[in-house]
Amino acid sequence: MRLADARALLPGLVTRPADPEADLRALRQLVLWCIRFTPWSAADGDSGILLDITGCAHLHGGEEAMIDAIASRLSAFGIEARPGLADTPGAAWAVARFADGNSRIAAPGCARTALAPLPVEALRITPGTSAALRRLGLTTIGALAGIPRAALSRRFTSAEIGESVLLRLDQAFGDRDEPISPLTPPPVFLEALKFSEPLLEPGGLEMAADRMAAALATRLRAAQRGARALSLWFFRVDGTTARCDIATSQATCNASHFLRLFAERLGTVDPGFGVEAAALHATCVEPLEDRQPDLLERSRAGGDLGLLVDRLATRLGADAVFRLEPVDSHIPERAQRAVAAGLTASRQDAPPTLAPRPFRLLAPPEEVRAGAETPDGPPLFFTWRRTFHRIARAAGPERISPEWWIRDGSGDVRDYYRVEDTEGHRYWLYRAGLYGSDSNRSPRWFLHGFYG
Amino acid sequence: MTAYAELQTTSNFSFLRGGSHPEELVERAAELKLAAIGITDRNTLAGVVRAHVAARHAGIRVLVGARLDLADGPSLLCYPRDRAAYGRLCRLLTLGQRRAAKGSCLLRLRDILDHAGGQILIAIPPAALPDRNFAAAVTRLRHETTGPLHIAASMPYQGNDRARLNQLGNFAVRTGLPIVATNDVHYHVPGRRPLQDVLTAIREHVTVPEAGYLLAANAERHLKAADEMTRLFRGHEEAVQNSVEIAGQCTFSLDELAYDYPDEPVPDGMTAQQYLEQLTWKGAAWRFPGGVPDKVRQNLGRELSLIGELDYARYFLTVHDIVRYARERGILCQGRGSAANSAVCYCLAITSVNPAEIDLLFERFVSAARKEPPDIDIDFEHERREEVIQYLYQRYGRDRAALAATVITYRARSAVREVGKAMGLSEDTTAALAGTAWGSHGDGFPERRIREAGLDPDDPLLRLTIALANQLIGFPRHLSQHVGGFVLTRSPLNEIVPIGNAAMPERTFVEWDKDDLHALGLMKVDVLALGMLTCLRKAFDLLRACKGIDRDLATVPSEDPDVYDMLCRADSIGVFQIESRAQMNMLARLKPRSFYDLVIEIAIVRPGPIQGDMVHPYLRRREGLEEVIYPEPDEQHGDRNELRNVLEKTLGVPLFQEQAMQIAITAARFSADEANALRHSMATFRKRGTLPLLKDKMVGGMIARGYDPELANRCFSQIEGFGEYGFPESHSASFALLAYASSWLKCHHPEIFACALLNSQPMGFYAPAQIVRDAREHGVEIRPADINMSLWDNSLEPCDGRHLALRLGLRQIDGASESDLAPVIDARGRGYRNLEEMRRRSGIPVRTIERLANADAFGSMGLDRRQALWQARALDNAAPLPLFDAVDYCESDGEPEVALPAMPLSEHVVSDYRTLRLSLRAHPVSFLRERLTGLKALSAREIRQAKDGTGAITAGIVLARQRPASASGVVFMTLEDETGIVNAIIWPGVMEKFRKTVLGSRLVLIEGRIQRADTIVHLIAGRLKDLTSWLDLLSGEDATAGPETPRHTTTHRHPRNLRVIPKSRDFR
Repeated sequence: MRLADARALLPGLVTRPADPEADLRALRQLVLWCIRFTPWSAADGDSGILLDITGCAHLHGGEEAMIDAIASRLSAFGIEARPGLADTPGAAWAVARFADGNSRIAAPGCARTALAPLPVEALRITPGTSAALRRLGLTTIGALAGIPRAALSRRFTSAEIGESVLLRLDQAFGDRDEPISPLTPPPVFLEALKFSEPLLEPGGLEMAADRMAAALATRLRAAQRGARALSLWFFRVDGTTARCDIATSQATCNASHFLRLFAERLGTVDPGFGVEAAALHATCVEPLEDRQPDLLERSRAGGDLGLLVDRLATRLGADAVFRLEPVDSHIPERAQRAVAAGLTASRQDAPPTLAPRPFRLLAPPEEVRAGAETPDGPPLFFTWRRTFHRIARAAGPERISPEWWIRDGSGDVRDYYRVEDTEGHRYWLYRAGLYGSDSNRSPRWFLHGFYG
Repeated sequence: MTAYAELQTTSNFSFLRGGSHPEELVERAAELKLAAIGITDRNTLAGVVRAHVAARHAGIRVLVGARLDLADGPSLLCYPRDRAAYGRLCRLLTLGQRRAAKGSCLLRLRDILDHAGGQILIAIPPAALPDRNFAAAVTRLRHETTGPLHIAASMPYQGNDRARLNQLGNFAVRTGLPIVATNDVHYHVPGRRPLQDVLTAIREHVTVPEAGYLLAANAERHLKAADEMTRLFRGHEEAVQNSVEIAGQCTFSLDELAYDYPDEPVPDGMTAQQYLEQLTWKGAAWRFPGGVPDKVRQNLGRELSLIGELDYARYFLTVHDIVRYARERGILCQGRGSAANSAVCYCLAITSVNPAEIDLLFERFVSAARKEPPDIDIDFEHERREEVIQYLYQRYGRDRAALAATVITYRARSAVREVGKAMGLSEDTTAALAGTAWGSHGDGFPERRIREAGLDPDDPLLRLTIALANQLIGFPRHLSQHVGGFVLTRSPLNEIVPIGNAAMPERTFVEWDKDDLHALGLMKVDVLALGMLTCLRKAFDLLRACKGIDRDLATVPSEDPDVYDMLCRADSIGVFQIESRAQMNMLARLKPRSFYDLVIEIAIVRPGPIQGDMVHPYLRRREGLEEVIYPEPDEQHGDRNELRNVLEKTLGVPLFQEQAMQIAITAARFSADEANALRHSMATFRKRGTLPLLKDKMVGGMIARGYDPELANRCFSQIEGFGEYGFPESHSASFALLAYASSWLKCHHPEIFACALLNSQPMGFYAPAQIVRDAREHGVEIRPADINMSLWDNSLEPCDGRHLALRLGLRQIDGASESDLAPVIDARGRGYRNLEEMRRRSGIPVRTIERLANADAFGSMGLDRRQALWQARALDNAAPLPLFDAVDYCESDGEPEVALPAMPLSEHVVSDYRTLRLSLRAHPVSFLRERLTGLKALSAREIRQAKDGTGAITAGIVLARQRPASASGVVFMTLEDETGIVNAIIWPGVMEKFRKTVLGSRLVLIEGRIQRADTIVHLIAGRLKDLTSWLDLLSGEDATAGPETPRHTTTHRHPRNLRVIPKSRDFR
């Protein structure tokens, strides 16, 4: 069904875009969480988890208790789970999805009887295959099991596993082995230190940070990872903690870089009655870009710019460090914006043939008194901040209409003029509004910028 | 007083560039009293005819031109000075368009030089000056062409306008070329700037806020008056003056192209008129072997002399030539249109509507006053139309015959979708907004619907989007080839109009649409495809082959009372045009007894008469419940009976388009020209603002002459209703003939009719299941598709002596293709005994055999579908070994017998529907009858017999849902069960409450009230319940088992199980 059709049926329908990749990531997270029940945990398709609980059930009070525990803990997360348990992955898959509540556990050796009443769809076969079986009247696994193997294999053998009915049947009944490959958890980049004597001196904290940073950097480098964010924890003897966070503009595993950034903050950490333990955790880790180090890297200033930006940002706050980037807008004050001062290359393309813009803009433009010829003649004189300027030369107008799609619309149509006064100073003036467009309001003049 | 002619204008035919219609530009230019306006769209002449037509009314001169965008040089404005130069411009554009992909054009400076004779060229300098390439190209143009060459200068308020103008002035002095003032017009008024910005954003695939410098900085590119242009160009006044001089040098007008008819069919030594008369009289003798009736003889004389007077003989001869070809090849065809129902066309075999039998029309088939070419559309069998098209190409050559264009315009949905995207609305919001556009044409976005869609109509961004989308509606998006409108000319077509590539390879079409061609008086012939003609031809063939009866459209016995009896019973499934639910209702009320009644029947169920509220008065008068009176003017305004002639045949109620026009002329005193404008605006006024003017004129004119104001308003509403589907009597008469012929076949030869109808699918209103069911109800024996009996097509088999049984063909099997199954039929011989033999001899893949097994086509082998499928799956997919060809080897012989569960009947029925879309066994609902009775639901038969006003419950499969635009939100739902059909009416209130059920269910239960009028019974729905899930019970389990138990989650069921019954047909 298309979304529009669904909407026509139910106008108030709440919709969210599907994100299968995120779903899969979430499922893998869930698989990792399931390792608490058994180390043999694996994702099964896009909506299932397979746990091999051989030898684990007694740790959770038996099979039934274990299944209940899994279901109730997941439901505490807001995840509705349908657990099923049987001798083989295939049979467990079937009972989990198709058996009703009371028969979700197939007793050992009873897969055949437990599966017999279930529909053939429970065999993990493709929809086309199950439809073909249904058309032949073979609607349950029991009915299917009653057909001679030779007849079945002749009609339902395929290179595609989902179409090989006999194979699926054998897997479900345990006549054929089906191993699962468990998921291994990703490494955690965390270093910790315990001190036999509580540290009281800031120098000690620095040394601890130094050691942990070196160890973490080594591990990161070995794993081809770099940190984008780090947290440094100090655990005081009285049970309180102190914490510093830093962030870097690109992934790095350079210990001295970490330390220089922490150095901006370490001074503020109060050891209190003494620090008995410390930890350094790379909270955001990204793959390290493998860059061939330039032989002359050290001599180039660019290499250290990132470090400088990180240090300034750590010291002044991330918002305080920015650079201007051009924005495509005809309205002069909107034609640039502040962006975070990373190392990303700035836009190179210049705006098209616009009349020359001044080097400095007044923000906001300041109103002036001026005189000009109607309807669109250049100004002849203007008074700004009580100084009178007689205009010697002028070029224009450059007419810029408001951006109609913005709600406040920035008001009137502007006619910009480049002017030079009799003393040789150059200004950028504009008239807001056109003569004759609004009889109640005569146009106003503004000074917007200076050339040179 | 200064004068100025705007020579650089971009209309919306430069797609996604211009922000105004050509008509708007022309009208605005006339208001500003410009000396002339040139239309210069980019590498196209697509918009010039519209501008030309608008200029006739606006009283301004339009210069035909184009802006030539070159691959290797500056853009040039090109204005042909005379007819010859215009021909060269068309050739040039054809050349550029033919060598580029559809919708684009590739031109080089070299091409311009080759076609420059007689053209006035204006070079457009680039934004940044000086520019060496521009100077070089201009120098080359100056040396290698002889015609006038100018440099365009404009004042776009870019800050350096003056400096730029001086630079251009100096350049002009240096090169000796004059500069000419233009304003690079992109819209007629500055208020269109937002729309033009949106178009730019759509074109560049960005949102408006992101578009930045792609947009113009200001709104100055609009049409400006001479004074303003002179002020802007002060110091260079000669530039403004030059524009007027250029306009004076262009003497070419599109009117010079008129009536360039081909004269192929005329033999040497005869004039076209002589030849036409000769053919006509010969045809008359053939049509009336017993002597031509006097009335027809008189008509012929009058028509022929009118044709002679207007010099239309070649038009009729050309149409005759096409029809003659089709008839020679046995392709059934019929003409329709204003000229088609003339006596001449009957004698030329262009139509089969006998003028002796029905008193034809208003003698206005071609009006001397209308000064318009006649209009004939020809319908052909849809399966064989291509042959006719190929004949046209072969007879007139590709350089003189081409398809017309269709201008694809923005409709409400597409407009709001594109504008929403450009305004940065989320895809969801845009989709929801598009969903609020009402009806297939979507005239607007009602606030109530917007609120329903969960959006806030007061949101400023949304309001802006809707306002802009409303402006965009009616803008051309692109040109496409017309389905069958051909333009035929005597002189080479590429000197009349540029020809471009179509999307299909080897197809080309001209840049003008039918209205454009019509406006210029060029010959166009519509070669259309009609499914019913295919059906009729097949039926006539079967009639000849199986029963030895020879009939064609003209010789079907006329005025047969049995046929009318059948139609009065509203027994019309499958019949052309009068088979829909609305038409069936009308049949029962109108009770047609003559051919002319059918003509009215076809025209009356249309938006025109319905919106004009003409239907009920007509019916009342017909039943004698209301006096037949004719609207009259005041005595002082002339003849009180002036409308009697116009309205006599329809009992004083205007029903046809011609009548509405004639009322405008007679009662509102429209001139022929004005009436023409009215007729024209019927089709186009939605996008143009001429409607209120014409309304005032017509309604005001009628009231002033003493007509009843209410009637005047209704007449105009009717004209509005004709809008998109103007339905003239002439069309209706042609259609009525097809309706009559198909009724006659259905009445007397139901098996032949059903067979031909099935073999012509898809067409018409009903699916094969209903056609088969209807045939069975008329006593036709239907036999199942079978591998040993069926052909590809449905066929007729003898049964018990003189009757014929209809054998379903393999074509009824879903997903089957003729090429896949041909080997099965070819190799059949005396029949296949088992699957292996069939597989071996026919060599078709196992997949196809499985498909046949699923369709239960192995009955003659004694296998039901389940057994056949079991055996089919055992077949080896590899090619059969030659070794086994000789012996009757059966691979599965050694296999032990496997007992499969027997397939219950209900599941067979469901499988029948799934594979054949029909079942000869039973109706699916019959298996649910017991359960339905438990819910007190009546069968369709019981509903038909229920009393008016009683409450009733029924349930059935949903065959169709309709929401006619003329029925203000009422939904009609057609249900079917094993005893017949129930029509339910769902009023808007109920619709809102049960919206989901109405739109979503396949099996539905309706509780409501019976409404009975004569034999017509409707169920007025009060409450609906979706029973679609019951259909699942039919497949697999016993249908009579207890209520559904949630056995297992439905998410793991195959989706096909949910689609047991084919989706209903939904109409809007």
